[in-house]
Amino acid sequence: MMYNYFIVICFLLCAANCGWSYLEQDSWTNVELHHGLSSDPEHFSFRGNVTIPSLNSALSSLHQIELKTSELNVLTDLARQNGFYRLKVTVMYPNGKKQIFLTSSKACSLLQSELNDILWISVGPSGFISSVTHTSLSDSIECDVNIIEHIQGQEYNTDVLVKHSELAPMPDTAGFIQKVEREREARERGEVRDNRGFFSKYWMYIVPVVLLVFISGATNQDAAK
Amino acid sequence: MADAHFLAGALTSAMLVLLSTTVVVNGLYEDQIKKFDWRSMHVGAAKHIHVDLNHFQPRLLLGTHEQVVASICPKTGEIGWRQVLEQKARGDIKLLQVSGFADDSSDTAAAPVGTHLGFDMLTVQGHAPALVRGWNTNTGTIEWEWSVMPLNTERAQDAHWFYSNSLLYHVVPTWRSHLEVTAYFGTSGHTTGSTSKIMAAWIKPESCLLSGTFFVCVDGKQLISLDLVAKSTQVIATTLDTEPTSKVQALAGLNGVLVVNRKLVSVNKAQTVCDTLQSSSYAVGTFNYRKIVAYGDLAEGVLKIKAAYLDNCAPVPELDQSLTFNADYGTPSLRSFDCKLKRNGDGKSCLFVFSTSAESIVAVQQNRVRWVREEALANVVDSQFIDLPLADSEGTLENEMKGKSVDATGFETDIASAFLRRITTQAIQIKSLFLHVIGLGPPPTDTQRAGLVRDSFGLHKMLVLLTRSGKIFGIDNIIGKHHWQLYLPNVVGFGNDENMRLIVQRTSKHFPLQPLCTIVAKDLSTGNGVLYRFNPITGRAAEGGLLQLDYQIKQLSLLPEAEPDFVKGILLLDATNKVHVHPKHATQLADGMYLYTADVKTSELAGYFVKYAGEKLSTTPIWTVHLCGHNNEQKIVAVAGKSSIEHVHSQGRVLGDRSVLYKYINPNLVAVITQAPDALHKSILNLYLIDVVSGSIVFTMTHRKVRPPVHIVHSENWLAYSYYNDKVRRTEITTIELYEGKTQANSSVWSSLKAPMMPLVERQSYIIPTVVEALRETITERGITNKHVLIGTANGAIIEMPWALLDPRRPIASTTQGREEGAIPYIPELPLPTENFINYNQTIARLRNIYTAPSGLESTCLVVATGLDLFVTRVAPSKTFDLLKEDFDYILISIVLVALTSGSLIVRHLASRKLLKQAWK
Repeated sequence: MMYNYFIVICFLLCAANCGWSYLEQDSWTNVELHHGLSSDPEHFSFRGNVTIPSLNSALSSLHQIELKTSELNVLTDLARQNGFYRLKVTVMYPNGKKQIFLTSSKACSLLQSELNDILWISVGPSGFISSVTHTSLSDSIECDVNIIEHIQGQEYNTDVLVKHSELAPMPDTAGFIQKVEREREARERGEVRDNRGFFSKYWMYIVPVVLLVFISGATNQDAAK
Repeated sequence: MADAHFLAGALTSAMLVLLSTTVVVNGLYEDQIKKFDWRSMHVGAAKHIHVDLNHFQPRLLLGTHEQVVASICPKTGEIGWRQVLEQKARGDIKLLQVSGFADDSSDTAAAPVGTHLGFDMLTVQGHAPALVRGWNTNTGTIEWEWSVMPLNTERAQDAHWFYSNSLLYHVVPTWRSHLEVTAYFGTSGHTTGSTSKIMAAWIKPESCLLSGTFFVCVDGKQLISLDLVAKSTQVIATTLDTEPTSKVQALAGLNGVLVVNRKLVSVNKAQTVCDTLQSSSYAVGTFNYRKIVAYGDLAEGVLKIKAAYLDNCAPVPELDQSLTFNADYGTPSLRSFDCKLKRNGDGKSCLFVFSTSAESIVAVQQNRVRWVREEALANVVDSQFIDLPLADSEGTLENEMKGKSVDATGFETDIASAFLRRITTQAIQIKSLFLHVIGLGPPPTDTQRAGLVRDSFGLHKMLVLLTRSGKIFGIDNIIGKHHWQLYLPNVVGFGNDENMRLIVQRTSKHFPLQPLCTIVAKDLSTGNGVLYRFNPITGRAAEGGLLQLDYQIKQLSLLPEAEPDFVKGILLLDATNKVHVHPKHATQLADGMYLYTADVKTSELAGYFVKYAGEKLSTTPIWTVHLCGHNNEQKIVAVAGKSSIEHVHSQGRVLGDRSVLYKYINPNLVAVITQAPDALHKSILNLYLIDVVSGSIVFTMTHRKVRPPVHIVHSENWLAYSYYNDKVRRTEITTIELYEGKTQANSSVWSSLKAPMMPLVERQSYIIPTVVEALRETITERGITNKHVLIGTANGAIIEMPWALLDPRRPIASTTQGREEGAIPYIPELPLPTENFINYNQTIARLRNIYTAPSGLESTCLVVATGLDLFVTRVAPSKTFDLLKEDFDYILISIVLVALTSGSLIVRHLASRKLLKQAWK
């Protein structure tokens, strides 16, 4: 019995996701994050690790290390200069293929959001990652120095969101023919019912009448004078 | 059943009525034909030229690199007829043989009298199949045609053809092995026998060519040749004085004669040549019934033509010509000439035809240029409409206004001086008017004399066209006159499928400063960048003209206007990711700029941030995007950004329930389309919308069983692209609109770093019953006018498609909400009514691109369509709402006004009299 259920669920999953047949392999994608928080622009230090069991389900487990005080100072400096917090993302696919992405966001908004950030992972149509974008949850556009200098906590709070590719629409010829057929049938049955309101249906008759009434009323008033 | 038909008919007619009421129909009246538009026809760079003045109808027959066969009138240079043939390798003209050429009897088409097997002209095109066509050169029609499908199509690519004694020979080389020669009867296509194989291990690609019936290969200091029609296959070796430094060329008209190191060399023992002559280009012809060779050379701007009799090498003094040759024609090479056949002719009737490196065709007669055809215009790669300069009087007025706006703060205190300035300006104006009337005024400037003064509606502009050969044209957009032309030799387009660019660095708005344009190109020899600055009104070099850069250009961007000269700097990213700014004083403005690059080969995109610190610019790579897929199978086929001069007037769209759906207007959004082969779906096409400042992919969409050609147009908050659907074998257009939603994140400033990550994406696909070659949106000054999409089709028409028809929000079910929103119910196939063809019957051959520019009128958009032909017109997407109709009845309205005014005065007078009378009663 359990076995049967399992099959049914599998089938349903497949039915829902037939479009993403490429992603069906049960694959662990590993994403390594390195941030550029040192004086050397070419040097990136380890920030954390995201493991995505399946790009399709968009579930992920995060492991990140706390920001060191020295790194926080660099980040604050960057924010003061309106600089970029740069993140080097190394994606390792289960087949051993490796791809390196770079993404940046304003250091100031990362601090303003108190290290609450989002990692958007865009997945291409055949199941590969095409970009990783880092943004932070900060509302203000201006950089407020007071906020960034009094930041609490040194731990990242990251959400990982996966964006999928969608399927393009086809010209809907079948739908159009059906619609024409339906309208034809409705007409044959004489069921074309106009469910608009009274005014919206007959306004073109009412407006001239009202206008006429007004005009005649005005002329009468003149005459009365 | 009949009832059903009736109903369906009623339904479609209802739809039509709905369409015609909601969609602006932009038909042209009959008397407006050619009033707002003009077309110039071209044939492309000449490949084969043949002049024949002794035919009963003198003619110049042309075969071109654009696969066009044409007949040109030798007197005027106008096209007699033109046939645009198959494109690409399929239509490549390999041989153009004119029958009865001069007095060489071997070339005539021997055909029995009364049959249709003769020909005036024979062409061979393509290799698999090779199409052999016989032409009637008087009418330009094909008389007969046959084709050959070679067994080995790859080898046939290098095949040569020649015609000799009514036989057409097909020579297929197998490099380093042998030659296969097949002879066909020229007119019927029957083979004369089996293919003969000639062993020739010495043939190598790149060094071999065909001269008449001789197959010749260069081997060091030797020419190894073989007569392909001779009985014996004897290899002849001819020793040269020196090794050839440039490419060896065959001399048409003489069998087995070649041009090696500017000298004539014969490999044919029966043919003697004058080996003392030195020239870059030769042509063979007849003068006074004697065979001569003419040669033309350009030295210091003077073109000298000389000729020598072939039999004794004596010079022909009658044909000596010398004339000044404009530098913008490029380097000429003599291709063909002919003289009227007379005893003791004086040579005045001889016409020499040159093709030049600037792709012009120049005809010279009697020491002057008889006519020029600018065939570079068949390959336009970029175009700009430039405002004409103001007339002087308006210029001073403009200056005054500008002075006022600059010190607006000191305006109140400075009333007296402002008044004084105004009075002096007007005094000067009156004085100049007076002087002008009595004929003592200053002489009009060159531009004024040429009629190049701005009109009140800004419809008259200078159309600057940049062509693939490096020639630049300044053309009047109203009458089509070529005001100036420039030629930049040794420039090519960039790698990565990018053409040369024409950039407006300063517009005409900054009187008295002149407008400034720049061409950004790649040097042919070094591969480094080249900038050429010029004044687009006069066509003269400005700011030093040509500038050779010492780095390769990878990306370019425009900076905002810099004080004090209002020049927009060009920001260039070089191959090592360093940035440079031209002119130098605008360097500071590059601070905080973002740049992106897209590599077509690797399908990788990268973003850079430019920083200005310590008087220096530096770049930081800030993002990368890989669209290449798992195995690098995806290739970028199209990248489309938005027009930088675009204004979006309306921020939202009013829905049926009177709420507003805000548009997602991201100026940094770029659409990238990649194509990949697919095991299951044959070919897939992916669309990525990428914010090139933050590097985030906003949206991704996949088409299955779809393949290029892809054409794309991207504007405001929408995108439309066409592609070929392999499954149903038709062209389709998909449209996308992006919305932020019912609220706007930030209404005043757009920041890509704070943008909503997931805009609403509306999408829809339509069938378009034609083949799309180009897409472009109309653009107007303020963006108030509706946007239409101009669709260029393969049959040379431009269709103006209202966005309302392409709208992805067209409701499938006819709901009242959709109706109130003003959306037309969805019909899968887009209508192509003929009244929306903006070029009516003026077909544009090989339409490749459409460019649009705003005019001074909000309603009107200027359009230039380029391809083999050039078509310039204007469109008014929302009709000319800000312009009186041409047939507006000024007299009637004046009469009515005068009558009404006088009538009211009279009536008033009468009324007062009546009142007075009543008062007395």
